[in-house]
Amino acid sequence: MAIDSSAVGRVYPPQPYEVSREKVREFAEAIGDTNPVYVDVEAAKEASHDDVVAPPTFVMIPVMRGFDILMEDLGIEYARVVHVDQYFNYSRPLVVGDRLETTTTLDAIRQVAGNDLLTIRNDVHDAARAHVCTAQATLLIRPEENGDG
Amino acid sequence: MADLAVGQVVADREYRITRENLVRYAGASGDFNPIHWNDRVARAVGLPGVLAHGMLTMALAGRLLTDWAGDPGAVVEYSVRFSRPVVVPDDDHGVAVQVSATVTEVRDDGLVAVDLAVKVDDQKVLTQARALARPPKTDGGS
Repeated sequence: MAIDSSAVGRVYPPQPYEVSREKVREFAEAIGDTNPVYVDVEAAKEASHDDVVAPPTFVMIPVMRGFDILMEDLGIEYARVVHVDQYFNYSRPLVVGDRLETTTTLDAIRQVAGNDLLTIRNDVHDAARAHVCTAQATLLIRPEENGDG
Repeated sequence: MADLAVGQVVADREYRITRENLVRYAGASGDFNPIHWNDRVARAVGLPGVLAHGMLTMALAGRLLTDWAGDPGAVVEYSVRFSRPVVVPDDDHGVAVQVSATVTEVRDDGLVAVDLAVKVDDQKVLTQARALARPPKTDGGS
């Protein structure tokens, strides 16, 4: 069943996210990135950051929390979701200690070959309400069925 | 400003993705979609097998970018299209992903536009993989 097109334009409540030292370390290790600015305060300061910074795609963690509330609202299970594209635009890198808020907007729904294509925007701000990152994604939602073929 | 020319390949590297990497990335990112760790679920939804998280492939291509630029703060824009699924076999070798970065524009404001070619078995798994970044300082770095 197609997703209700009246959901377009829906803005979901801002989701808080605090960037923690150990999560940044864990993420950098998971992507195999040994850049010291992800784990070592001194190295980060030498690169003129206030503290340890996160790899660019780390911001997907708070962005996913925005996806979660949207998926729940629209009744979509992740096993039906295919990530089609992802865009990020940064004002600055994420820094350990950042208390972020991510606002998620459903910008568009299109139907293509029986699937729904959602365009989702996530605006990430810091505690001072300054812009940190804007993300935009297209997600393809497969129809509900028992797809053995 | 860095002496960069359009068409110049500024970095290239091979990365490997194994099932272990997928488990680690799932935990680190919080993306527990079972198509990234459960063959049974992946096949039930019509996929050839367990797939790498698109965001993990994007992160690896991002590594090439930040290693070249020298700092994650140098990345101003980064976008990809996940054009082909990366199937990760259940063995010790995993799958090899080739990434290379080519300059497409040197802008007046000092930013450099880069195209990333991201391939498995000579086929692009990401298309329209592009970034806008501050180039590395030309202070004798590699």
